[in-house]
Parts: sequence; structure tokens; C-alpha cells
Amino acid sequence: MFDRDLWSEVFNSIKKNKMRTFLTGFSVAWGIFILILLLGSIKGLQNGFAKQFEDDASNTVYIWPNVTKKPYGGFDAGRRITLKNKDVEYIKGSFEGSFEYISSVFSRNLTVKYKKEFSNFPILAVYPDYQYIEKTTVEKGRFLENRDIEKKDKVVVLGKKVVDELFKDEDPIGKTVIMNGFPYKVIGEFSDGGNEREENKVYVPITTFQRIYGNTDVVNNIVLTYNPKFNFAEAINFSDVLEEVLKRRMIIHPEDQGAIYFNNSAEGFSNITEFTNMLTVISVAVGFLILVAGIVGIGNILVFIIKERTKEIGIRKALGARPSQVMRLVILESIFITTVSGVGGLLFGTGLLAIVSPLLDLPAFSKPSVDNTTVIIATVILIIAGVFAGLIPALRAANVKPIVALRAD
Amino acid sequence: MLEIKNLHKSYPIGDSSLHVLKGIDLSVKEGEMVAIMGSSGSGKSTLLNIIGMLDEADSGQYILDELQIKNLTEKKAAVYRNKFLGFIFQSFNLISYKNAIENVALPLYYQGMKRKERQELALFHLEKVGLANWSDHLPKELSGGQKQRVAIARALAANPKLLLADEPTGALDTKTSYEIMEFIQQLNDEGKTILMVTHEEDIANMCKRIVRLRDGVIMEDKKVTQVRAAQYV
Repeated sequence: MFDRDLWSEVFNSIKKNKMRTFLTGFSVAWGIFILILLLGSIKGLQNGFAKQFEDDASNTVYIWPNVTKKPYGGFDAGRRITLKNKDVEYIKGSFEGSFEYISSVFSRNLTVKYKKEFSNFPILAVYPDYQYIEKTTVEKGRFLENRDIEKKDKVVVLGKKVVDELFKDEDPIGKTVIMNGFPYKVIGEFSDGGNEREENKVYVPITTFQRIYGNTDVVNNIVLTYNPKFNFAEAINFSDVLEEVLKRRMIIHPEDQGAIYFNNSAEGFSNITEFTNMLTVISVAVGFLILVAGIVGIGNILVFIIKERTKEIGIRKALGARPSQVMRLVILESIFITTVSGVGGLLFGTGLLAIVSPLLDLPAFSKPSVDNTTVIIATVILIIAGVFAGLIPALRAANVKPIVALRAD
Repeated sequence: MLEIKNLHKSYPIGDSSLHVLKGIDLSVKEGEMVAIMGSSGSGKSTLLNIIGMLDEADSGQYILDELQIKNLTEKKAAVYRNKFLGFIFQSFNLISYKNAIENVALPLYYQGMKRKERQELALFHLEKVGLANWSDHLPKELSGGQKQRVAIARALAANPKLLLADEPTGALDTKTSYEIMEFIQQLNDEGKTILMVTHEEDIANMCKRIVRLRDGVIMEDKKVTQVRAAQYV
């Protein structure tokens, strides 16, 4: 490859056709330049979306059972799906490491009474993890703990608004409230960053409610947060796998969208990812087509050069140049032109992105860039393209008959 | 060293074909200096092309240095040309953007010789043709005679068994022609076998043997008393 004579011949040929070589090389450089700008812009869009995802979204997945819409596995449509404790245990066992917090929820609307005051509140029977899922802040006392779950204690944690309504200025901790005739001991009071709807709720241990209301192991819904280290794609993937597994476990048609309702906060961004992926495909295709035009141009100019150099090639062959040696010369020249001009376009494109990138930090468009892999792949493609561009002219050169050397000019 | 028996060659022209060589028998021994003469269309160029492995005969035998030359692949032909043959052309055929020494070194390059080695060898041959001082000049900076001398140095570079010259003086004036012939005679004196196509009687008479072709057959093949070119220079 680093044969001085070979290179000197490549340069000589290029030197003799400066303008033509430049114009053809330019088309390759331009193709790569546009490709890099397109890919960089799409990266900018993706960055914008990802940033919004990280800023705003909580990493929560809500799972609600519903009624099947499609017959499947011997069951008719319209079957009500119920989730049970063992399903939660199953998720816990199967997806270790994929979730951070998980809690099933058993809920009732009940009248809560303290002394003379009473009112209706949503009661959520949950596990201690729920505190972290909902990001509630304990103001007084404590939240539910595992021992409450184990002992199936009748204890409650009241939202700030519940306390305001029932206790007025009284300290609720240690007092007893009555729900549905059963006494519950208040162990804590919570607030939720000003979300009044959350502060209107009452938490009790799930085991307590499941025993009191039907001695059941049914749960109304499941809430979990996925591993915070998950990036966007992993979060989506986890949720997809979870849905698939649960549907199989519940014998639900894989396409049945209504039987279990999944609410994944990452889901909304999934469509955007598909959209930007599509854009990537389109821009790669466009860039590739432009590149093809450039390559055809280079092939064209090389065929022309070969024609001009027919006699010279004939002389070389008469002197003992093997066809492969002649081909090598032409292909090397082609690779040289495509690679140099392509890398030129590459540098220009990435350079422009590097200058523009820090200036562009909009919500939907942030830090356009191309990664090294793209750059390396583009370079490799250019070299391969150079081989292809040189192939036809090289074969032509190899087929030149040495007899032309004997022809007088 | 060169043995040709009953060589035939025809070229297709439209539907018919043109029979150019109609059974050539030629034997050349080592150290000979042969002129091949004939008017245009006599088949002398075709014969030289076949001997130079630039073309292949339809039938007949061609043995060069005890090697049967037949059905050569392009690659093999290239290797044989490089190893056995040195070409001298009418129009010199130097590569215009390469200087004298690079032109001379070209056959050695195709042999795969290392750069330093072939530069030395090329310089040696340039010295031999008296152009060592012109080694870094491009062909356009040289006179016709100098160009042909560079071309001869190039033909000699790979130390071929046989020198093939196609009208070597065709593009030169008489004085320069004789200088070149004097040099070619010197090479022959040193033992090189030389085969030369020419249509000039005076040049042919500077060889040791003249083969005359007409209409694809050898009409006459005779030894001549060599006229030394030196006396005209």
C-alpha cells in the first residue's frame, strides 16, 4: 500500500486532471457533508426529546387489569382479569433489578370518622414502597412499615387535607379513627408537594384490608418504578417485556390492548423515538443516494482518464506490468479521490456541527452531533465506494492490449 | 534461442478473414542481429507482435529459450515479457511524467525489485547509454536521440534474452539514426540477440542477417556483411 511509486503515479494522474478530479471529489464531499448534517440534526432532535423525558417524566408504570376484548386460549372475550398477590410476587421474582419500587394497591372509598367529624376519602391499601413511588413526604409520625404489613395492623397514614378536615388543629398521631366500624390508629401524616388530590388520601397496610374485605388476595392495580439507571430505550423495553409476560401469565391475547392497561410514562416518548429512527433511515438513504451520484462521477472521470492513458498502460504492459498491477493503480486512485474528498466533507460537516452545537440548546433541538461510530462507518463506506467506483475503469485498464504500445502516434 | 515453425495468423475482417502470416519458419541463434524487412502489409509487424507475446499465433510453434510460448494468460505473458524481452519502439514510448531514471527502472519495478536496488541498476544502464547526467530529466527535456537511448536503457534494464526493436530509427534523422545503430551494434557485440523491424535498407544492412517478408511468407533469408555504423558517425 505504501509503495512510493504507486502513490507518485496516483498523484501524477490527479495532478494532470486537477479540475475534473476536484469537481468529482466535490460531489462525494457534498454527499457526505449533507449526510453528516442530517444525522447531526436528527441527533439534535433526539437529544431534545430525551432531555424532556429526563426532566419531566417520573419513571412509573401503572398496571390496571380490565376486561378482555378478544377470545383467547379457550376463553371468550369479556373475561374480567384480576391481579393477585402472587402476581406481584411473580413480577418481583422475575424482574429483579429491573424495578426499584413496587407495590400493589387495594383501594376502597370509605367514610373516615374522628369524634364528631367524618367524611368520605379514598383509602389506598398499599406496601411501604408506595411512599417512594408517589414521592410523599411524611410530615409527622411515620409511613407504613413492613411490620405493619406482617402483623396486619389496623393503622393509617392520613393525607394533610384529611387531617385538616377531621382533626382541625389537633395532633392526629396516636389518635384513633373509625372506618366502616373498625378502629384504626393514626401513625403518620403526609404531604405531597402541594398535590391536593394526593393529600386527600388515606394509606393502610394492604394485608389489613385484604383480610377485612373478603379475606382475599386480589389487588386492584400494581404500581412500580423501574430502575432509575435505565435509559429511555431500556425503560420502554422493560415495560414491553413486562406486558408480554403478564399477558401470557393471564392467558390474554398478545394483541389484546384492553385487557391489561399499562401506563408507562416513557411510553409517550416511544413514538418519538420511532419517528426519529425513521428520520435517520430516510437521511441515510438520501445521503447514500447523493453518495452514489458522486461515485458514479468518479467512475466516469476514471474511465475517461484510462482512455487518455491507454497508450501509457499499453507501454507498461509491454514492459511487464501484470493486469493486477494495473488494476491496483486505478483502484488506488479511485479510493484516494473518494476517501480524501469524503473525509473532507466529513471534517467540514462535523466541524460545522461542533461550532453550532453549543449554540443550539432548544427544548426540542439540543446539541446536534454525530458519534464516532458514524464517522468511522462513513469512512469505511467511502473506501469501499472508492473500490466500486474504480472497478469498471480498472477492469478496462487491465484489458488494454499491450499491442497499442507499438502503434505509432 | 528462438524457434518458429509453420506460424499462421489471420485477422477477421467482417465476415471474411485476412490471412497475414502464412507459415513462417524462423530460427534465430544467440548473438544474432536480424533485420525483418517488408513493405506494409507484409506481416512483419504481426510477426514481431507474436514474438513479443503481444499477440498470439493461430497455429504453429513458437519456442523462446526452450520455452513453448502458447496459450499464455495475460499475467504469464506479462511475466515472460518482463523476463525475456526488451522492447525498443519507434516513438520511444517513454512515460512523459517520469524522469529518465524512473523510466529505466519501470521494468524492474514490475519485477518487484526494491526501490534502492532498481535505482542503482537503472543508473548503471543510463551510464551505459551515456546519459547518467540526465537521469532526473523528463522525456520532454531530451532530444530524440537521447529519448531513444533512455528507451534502450529501459529495454536493457531487466537484462532480457532478446531485444525487440520496432523501427528504432524511424523517428530519428540520419545522423542520430546511425548513432543509435552504433549503440545497438555495440550491444550485439557484447552478445545480445537483437531482432529489428525496419524498412530502411541502410539500417537493415547494419544487421548481420536480413529476413524479407512478402504477403505473409519469408521471401528471402540471408546473412549479410555487417556495415559498421561507427564509420558514419
